[in-house]
Amino acid sequence: MDFDFFAGMFAQLLMGLPLTLNLGILALLGGFSLALALNLMRATRIGNAVASAYVFVFRGTPLLIQIFMIYYGLAGFGFVRQSFFWPFLREPYWCGLLALILNDAAYTSEILRGGLRSVPKGAVEAGRVSGMTRFTVLRRITLPIAIRQALPAYSNEVISILKSTALVSTITLMEVTGIARAAVSETWRAVEIFLCAAVIYLALSLLVTRLSAWVERRLSPWQFGVTP
Amino acid sequence: MSLPSTALSIAGLHKSFGSNEVLRGIDLSARDGDVISLIGASGSGKSTLLRCIPMLEIPDAGTVTVGEDNLSPEGGRLTRGQESVARRMRGHLGFVFQNFNLWPHRTVLQNVVEAPLFVQKRPRAEAEEEATALLEKVGLAEKRDAWPAHLSGGQQQRVAIARALAQRPRAILFDEPTSALDPELVGEVLKVIRALADEGRTMLIVTHEMGFAREVSSQVVFLHQGLIEEAGTPEQLFGNPSSERCRAFLSGHFDRNR
Amino acid sequence: MPGDLTLIGFGPDGWGLALARAGLMTLYVSVSAFFCGLMLGTLIAWARVAGNWPLRKLAEIYVTIFRGVPDILVIYLFYFGGRQVVTAVGTALGLPGPFDISGFVSGMLAIGLISAASQSEVLRGAYQAVPKGTIEAGRVSGMTRFTLFRRIIAPQAMVTAVPGMGNQWQSVIKESALVSVTGLVETMRQVSVAAGTTQEHFLFYAAGGVIYLIITTLSDQFFRLAEKRSLRGHEQGGV
Repeated sequence: MDFDFFAGMFAQLLMGLPLTLNLGILALLGGFSLALALNLMRATRIGNAVASAYVFVFRGTPLLIQIFMIYYGLAGFGFVRQSFFWPFLREPYWCGLLALILNDAAYTSEILRGGLRSVPKGAVEAGRVSGMTRFTVLRRITLPIAIRQALPAYSNEVISILKSTALVSTITLMEVTGIARAAVSETWRAVEIFLCAAVIYLALSLLVTRLSAWVERRLSPWQFGVTP
Repeated sequence: MSLPSTALSIAGLHKSFGSNEVLRGIDLSARDGDVISLIGASGSGKSTLLRCIPMLEIPDAGTVTVGEDNLSPEGGRLTRGQESVARRMRGHLGFVFQNFNLWPHRTVLQNVVEAPLFVQKRPRAEAEEEATALLEKVGLAEKRDAWPAHLSGGQQQRVAIARALAQRPRAILFDEPTSALDPELVGEVLKVIRALADEGRTMLIVTHEMGFAREVSSQVVFLHQGLIEEAGTPEQLFGNPSSERCRAFLSGHFDRNR
Repeated sequence: MPGDLTLIGFGPDGWGLALARAGLMTLYVSVSAFFCGLMLGTLIAWARVAGNWPLRKLAEIYVTIFRGVPDILVIYLFYFGGRQVVTAVGTALGLPGPFDISGFVSGMLAIGLISAASQSEVLRGAYQAVPKGTIEAGRVSGMTRFTLFRRIIAPQAMVTAVPGMGNQWQSVIKESALVSVTGLVETMRQVSVAAGTTQEHFLFYAAGGVIYLIITTLSDQFFRLAEKRSLRGHEQGGV
């Protein structure tokens, strides 16, 4: 075993961690907001159709093709190149982030929808008859129940997005996997290097699992016999 | 005329769950044709006792005998050899659960013929003919092709009884067969069990229906904290119980029901 | 709008035939990987449900690892690692080099192993959803463990597992796009090559997207049909 090599490799790969986290967290924030908007859109018939089509397309195609479509495909349009967005859309960072956000929104909106549907009608009615406004019912009854219900699925989505950030290495971004790929082409010690990268992602996902178990416990004390 | 032989017997049965000793030495036997009701407060161990007979719960000590077979498991588990004896014993028993436990992925008729076909390996035509007759007996001949989920609780329990009978059991065990039913559905199930008693079937019934127990039983057994506190004919036990606890249980029970 | 639609047609300048062939390759690699995952996933689920302590722990660790590491890293590891293994074995046997492992085999194994982790979770959940009472009813009728599994547990667990397995199949299709990094000419690889050659990126990535949508939609219909069939008798949710 070549410990110096592994130690050096970890140090090198960890330089990419800030970018991995940056992409992951911003994608989750952006994705969640967009997902919320998609669910609100479902109130109208046209909005519902648009949201369904959006989810259909983004869940039905691989993320890799979405990334390439945004990075390479959009540049083919003259109006894109002339638009206000061009300074962003020619940067791999913004293209990668945009693809991650759009992709995450499709999955998250389905998770949210499942959570909202799981809210018992009776709980909402009980809120209404006790004189709550629609907004209070949403804030005090519907959302808390829906979010608790959706939490396990959402924590899977968080892990999934962290893993997905590895794909932006294909459009030259130097996050953990990007650095690993570059190191491989210099040293050709592919297995060792990719294993190091895998350990970093594994640690991240274990952290998320622990965190979400803790949040779940905090948010649903009645299921765990914890006194409030 | 010879005396009826012993259908099943239990000797020195002990069973604990963790530190909770649920059965503390039970002896009980049923001859062919006996109808024995097991009564007692919840937690007295009567359901556990019944579940120990087909080894759904495995006793810590004691012997269970069904017909020619007997088992004396030790330490709450069965060896490989004992497991196959247990299967043979189960084949000679019918068991009716509180929650029916019909197989949701099989129709009514398929539920009844499942064990005859796949455990006893009897010919299909014969098994189906017998199953149809049994369904007729419990009054559900017209439901033979229905799915369990489409039946009322009372109907499901009657199918479960037909399923138990299809095994041609030496004895049938009932674990609170009416406790999960709406009050208006209790009668139809009790009527079927009563008819079986009239036929001379051997049965062990765990029940809270005191009036029914008094009417159909040849023997009533009162359990208290894992021991048989009192046993006797229904007349003795309901008319003049000798144990103070049994008296208190019965008066409480009848008070609550009347 | 850029793009000349004859480029994706079947004419002399068209990439239609190549795209169709690539679509079939996507299907081919996905089906192989899915069944690979099904076999291993069943074993893992069994280990977690019925195995002894070390077996259970091992299965748990497997699932944790494959759910925590990015799919693309697993594919790289199988591709490069596989090549090292094949080379080592080949050299040891004194065979003439150079040695290589096909993108198809390493991709299929990598995606199969990833999918096995999630499929085992689906199967385990389905097993746990079988009402305990129906299993007891089978036991008291004298069934052997095998009969119990075949007649009572498996048919009921299948009903719960179908939608989850449908989702796993959909993920496998999308993960198969990652195998393109090994040079295997499936849909993703083919559209990248075509886009690079013709400089019609938008057109070809859109065509690629449509191919994936066709595959995912058709298989979705298939799983819905399977779910409907397996739901016989369960319309009211059972007991």
